[in-house]
Amino acid sequence: MLRVPITVTVLVVCAVLAYFAAGELGAHRKLAALEPLLDRGSYEITLAFAPERFHQLLLQDKGRLVGVEGSTVFMKDVDAHALASIARNYWVESIVRWSGP
Amino acid sequence: MTAGATLASPLGLPRSFHRLGRTARGVAGVLILLVAWQVSVPLVGLSSYFYPSPADVFRAFVDLVRKGILPVYLADSMGRYAIGLFAGATLGIVFGVLIGMHRRIALALSPLLKFLFAIVEVAWIPIFVVWFGYGIETIVLALIYIVFFPVLYNTLLGVRTAPQILVNAVRSLGASRLAVLRLVILPSALPGIITGLRLGAGFAFRGLVFAEMVAAKTGIGYLIFDGAQSHDTARTIVGMIVMGFLWLAIDQFYLRPIERATIQRWGLTVEAEDRK
Repeated sequence: MLRVPITVTVLVVCAVLAYFAAGELGAHRKLAALEPLLDRGSYEITLAFAPERFHQLLLQDKGRLVGVEGSTVFMKDVDAHALASIARNYWVESIVRWSGP
Repeated sequence: MTAGATLASPLGLPRSFHRLGRTARGVAGVLILLVAWQVSVPLVGLSSYFYPSPADVFRAFVDLVRKGILPVYLADSMGRYAIGLFAGATLGIVFGVLIGMHRRIALALSPLLKFLFAIVEVAWIPIFVVWFGYGIETIVLALIYIVFFPVLYNTLLGVRTAPQILVNAVRSLGASRLAVLRLVILPSALPGIITGLRLGAGFAFRGLVFAEMVAAKTGIGYLIFDGAQSHDTARTIVGMIVMGFLWLAIDQFYLRPIERATIQRWGLTVEAEDRK
């Protein structure tokens, strides 16, 4: 009787899990060159496009956003956990260490 | 449903064939609308700010997905909706049963509930923003408020119309109050609860858009509002279309099957297509 809602819920849950799994794999790839991660560091985060307000607000929650140049965002005081959560976003292309201004 | 799919219509065609035909007609209607919309854009001659084409809207959709904005907004909206709907429905059912079964509670709460029912949720949102700020708490509270009343009143109706003869019969067999509730009241009230839930779910969906416009910085409602604010009309239309599809999906995949599994099972109503 409730086959349709249960099937749809299972499909949605599978899609969400696949989304997170893909994000996790992407994060491993993007952070591989930065291992071992610093407790707190400065990074250049390059997106696939110029960041909008949405991306800037999201990144501000993870550390100190110092500046934006084209599609690259410069951040300070980003801890390892926050860096991993940034890297999980599929719209983040690459992350490299930044020596500061 | 499976049995229905194998039954033949008066013309000898299987029912699934007719359903497929109905779906095809629906899709054709949407396609005609899209083509008419696209063709009308050069004829109207307005900028995409005033009158974006379907192609502009599709590009905006792809852009929102590529930039990761739409998935986050969608997840935020659905999370708020699910929490608000669940909490509002739970409270509505609990209060509906309590008021329906206890005369003293009914006398104590009825005037207050009638008073609160008269105050539309829109009036509460500015107060919630002052108390809880912009974010999930304000929106969820607004949704709870919206869902609570339809579920409460429909539950109440279901409880009060439970057959007294069955209540007396179960009581005469020595059943406790809780057993009466479980064996008679709740099954009788279930169609009412489901009706209230469906009404509440619809109201809450509309309320979600408004609440996100006023009290959020993410969500599909905010996307609609922000698109208009930033003169990106195509994004506003994407938000509207996503809302439409979401409601269709919720109704088709959740509300209708749940309604079928409860109300129609008790023989209170039949679907229009089953009457054919």
